Amino acid sequence: MPHIEIINSGLSTTIQDLGRTGHQAKGIPVSGAIDQYSHRLANILVNNSEKSATLEFSILGPTIEFNVETFIAITGGDSAPILNDSNISLNTTYPVKKGDILAFHPMKSGRFGYIAFAGNGLQVESILGSRSTNTRLNLGGYHGRALAKGDSLTIDNCYQMPSLVNRSLPWNEPTGNSIRFIKGPQWNMFSESAKQMFKDGPFTISSQADRMGFRLDGPTLEIPQKNMLSEGAVLGNIQITRAGQPIALLADRQTAGGYPVIATIIGADLGKFVQFSSNSPLLFEEISLKEATAALRSQYHFLSELADSIYQKRYQYPIGPIRKTSKKIEEMIFNS
Amino acid sequence: MIAYKYDFVPAGEQTLHIAFPEQIDVSENQLIQELAQQLRSRFIYEITDIVPAYRTLTISFDIRKTTYYEFSSKLKDFLAHYVPDTKNDHGRIFEVPVCYDSEFGIDLEDVAAFGNISVEELIKLHSTNNYFIYMMGFLPGFAFMGNVPDQIAMPRLSAPRASIAPGSVAIAGKQAGMYPVDSPGGWRILGRTPITLYTPNNPLPPFQAGDWIKFSQIDRTDYSAIKELDAHGEYQLKIISE
Repeated sequence: MPHIEIINSGLSTTIQDLGRTGHQAKGIPVSGAIDQYSHRLANILVNNSEKSATLEFSILGPTIEFNVETFIAITGGDSAPILNDSNISLNTTYPVKKGDILAFHPMKSGRFGYIAFAGNGLQVESILGSRSTNTRLNLGGYHGRALAKGDSLTIDNCYQMPSLVNRSLPWNEPTGNSIRFIKGPQWNMFSESAKQMFKDGPFTISSQADRMGFRLDGPTLEIPQKNMLSEGAVLGNIQITRAGQPIALLADRQTAGGYPVIATIIGADLGKFVQFSSNSPLLFEEISLKEATAALRSQYHFLSELADSIYQKRYQYPIGPIRKTSKKIEEMIFNS
Repeated sequence: MIAYKYDFVPAGEQTLHIAFPEQIDVSENQLIQELAQQLRSRFIYEITDIVPAYRTLTISFDIRKTTYYEFSSKLKDFLAHYVPDTKNDHGRIFEVPVCYDSEFGIDLEDVAAFGNISVEELIKLHSTNNYFIYMMGFLPGFAFMGNVPDQIAMPRLSAPRASIAPGSVAIAGKQAGMYPVDSPGGWRILGRTPITLYTPNNPLPPFQAGDWIKFSQIDRTDYSAIKELDAHGEYQLKIISE
């Protein structure tokens, strides 16, 4: 059976997709790629549905041996990928064949990387409509856990990639240190000074940062006196703990929370936020709900335009390749 | 007509809370559960997830299909004309077996002392009540229930324990709950149920918010027998009434 074999696990390498939505009412966390933008981009580059399962890794990528013919694309942080001893680019689609080895250097910047595999991604059982892994609950993905040396994952062969030469996008390091937010549901419970301190920052991402959430270091905020009843926890919510410390709730967040939420990081900036280095201070910048809506919509628009533009180039030269025969056909056409 | 006041609160560009009066109240929560079901089917195109909690209904929608402004105005319109279902069956009652052995119920003595009653009286008080499930979460299978009789409503520990065994049946003030997986927690533990509340292969719990739980006392022999049956998937929770 076509598959990939894990030679070295990398760090926290898990199978993720867009998440297990629709079951939070029963306490099932959403999970899914923590940087959804990079996950979607990787899938688009290899002609997959955005729902296809990718491999997510943190800081150090896995070493993978291919026992399959397919195409891959790597997105996210600057993970310095190496295919058979040659450096390859991020945000670019490459063909791989049996025996090829993909490895990584530790990330130069960013925190999370994604590997997408053509032919609709990693084939593991879908549980409640998702292949995402939640390691705390031992749920989904590959036996509910992070990958380990020796694991073998099923992938379908994929021999064709329309307009392969156009499947590349420049990789740019995110610029600026501001993360945009909209007021959270409990914004008005906080004192004026707490709100101002939140906006003045600066904050850094602490060492307590995982797929559930990032605790932030920075000024200690005055907390509201009143307790609140638990309510639905939302992706990007910034809770303030009893100690006055912000926690941003991310992919593996619990379904409900009882700490007041001062702000919500806008969807369009979540990818930038989760890739932020611990060494760089960040500032929160308030925008309106209308602006946040426009920003996320334009991000979705960018991705769908990208998919369309690649697709439209499929009949431009060079066509293909259907790798096994393309070289031969090319010779026949151009030497005749 | 909806008998409660409510507000729309943005919780993200793709999520809003409908916030009802801030209280723990069975009829208010029953309305929230009913609305969750109705809205899920009525706005199937827009809604991606919906989470009822004590006094809020959290609704996530797909921003590629609608916006906060457009969708909240649709919802407002729907709610303004909403007629609550008077035939609502108001949930099922599940009977959950609990062994109150002192080995499991590590806080029985303290809670009995708090209520100025014997451990036997405490067990009787705890297991004669029906508990309403206000919400599920923060973990799969964790039911936030109420209301614990005032006499035994002992507040949670000031410092949480590092680890609580799965199946532990506990209270925290007026709230009752069960721990589905090994996790830290500060609730007062009265006993343990032999049934599996969470398993990764079949992660959905049998009960949901809006249902009721009644605890029934079992001894150590029953505990082992039910645990054995449950491990083979042969134990079914008794539903007392639908």
